[in-house]
Amino acid sequence: MSTATQQNEDYGPWVRAMSRALEHGDGDGFRTALAGFDQARNCEVALQVRRVATELQTALDRLRVDSKLIDLAQHQVPGARHRLAHVLRLTDDAAHRTMDLVEQCCPLADQLAQEAERLIGLQEADASAHQLKPRITAFLKQAGTSMAGVRSNLAEVLLAQGYQDLSGQIIRGVMTLVDELEEALGELVRIAGADDDGRSGRGTTPRGHGPVVPGVNHGPSVGGQQDVDALLSELGM
Amino acid sequence: MQQNLNFLVVDDFSTMRRIIKNLLHDLGYANVTEADDGSTALPLLKDGNFDFLITDWNMPGMPGLELLKQVRADARLGKMPVLMLTAEAKREQIVEAAQAGVNGYVIKPFTAATLKEKIDKILAARAA
Repeated sequence: MSTATQQNEDYGPWVRAMSRALEHGDGDGFRTALAGFDQARNCEVALQVRRVATELQTALDRLRVDSKLIDLAQHQVPGARHRLAHVLRLTDDAAHRTMDLVEQCCPLADQLAQEAERLIGLQEADASAHQLKPRITAFLKQAGTSMAGVRSNLAEVLLAQGYQDLSGQIIRGVMTLVDELEEALGELVRIAGADDDGRSGRGTTPRGHGPVVPGVNHGPSVGGQQDVDALLSELGM
Repeated sequence: MQQNLNFLVVDDFSTMRRIIKNLLHDLGYANVTEADDGSTALPLLKDGNFDFLITDWNMPGMPGLELLKQVRADARLGKMPVLMLTAEAKREQIVEAAQAGVNGYVIKPFTAATLKEKIDKILAARAA
């Protein structure tokens, strides 16, 4: 229905009634028709106000969604990346500190073990220490054995720090993902509904896949060093 | 004699380089140099007098597999023993490394005994 037709339908009867009332000098009839005209006009205004209010609500909702994306892209994602980087620094520092201590302990253990060996030799050669001989010998042998154990344990502590490499690789992977997410969100904010430019596509990487993460990695992986050796053996190595 | 061998350890994580260096020291190998990826390792290899290369796979810059290929393609370095020490555990990667000419492949986490066994085996094969 056209605007002119709608206006004729809504207001025409009242305009014609007012015109007739004026021609016949009917004051009451004119005022009644005028009141009807006003009511019809108010209905139209109310409808328009409702339409504008709905549009305004939609715009506000969309603005809130955009604000969330902006906040994610500009604050929360960089924050998460910084936290991960901090974890990486902390684990790196801790691993180095532990290894510093281990490296300081190793020569101490070696020296004690060597000294114990020397003392065993000296007291065996000294006849005056005859009475103490069995006790000192047992003690020094025990000291030597203990130090060998300490040395072995320290070597294990050192090797255990390999977690830093593995966890660090995983964290770096997550940081890369966060970088990509940040970029994608930023792009989404700038160009709503734009097509993927292909940067999010993940193919094979010549840099490798990183450590096996339970429940995350897919595809055939070996279960341990024995599987690696078996595979290489199959290949003739 | 073997204890005089010059090792180059290539890994982007300094903690792992220290671990390998300490383990090599425990095995009696005192001459150990470090590099943090293939692109820094390659000039060292070309300019230096290294006898044994231990490299990670996943590194920024030049990854270990590319370093291995470059070493094999170099006339002077071509026959250098290369041990890949990496967290990369995909079957196709191990096959790829073998095809590129790696002498040994150890996956992380590893033990000191495994490292010793692989180095000994590579050196024994070289001496034979």
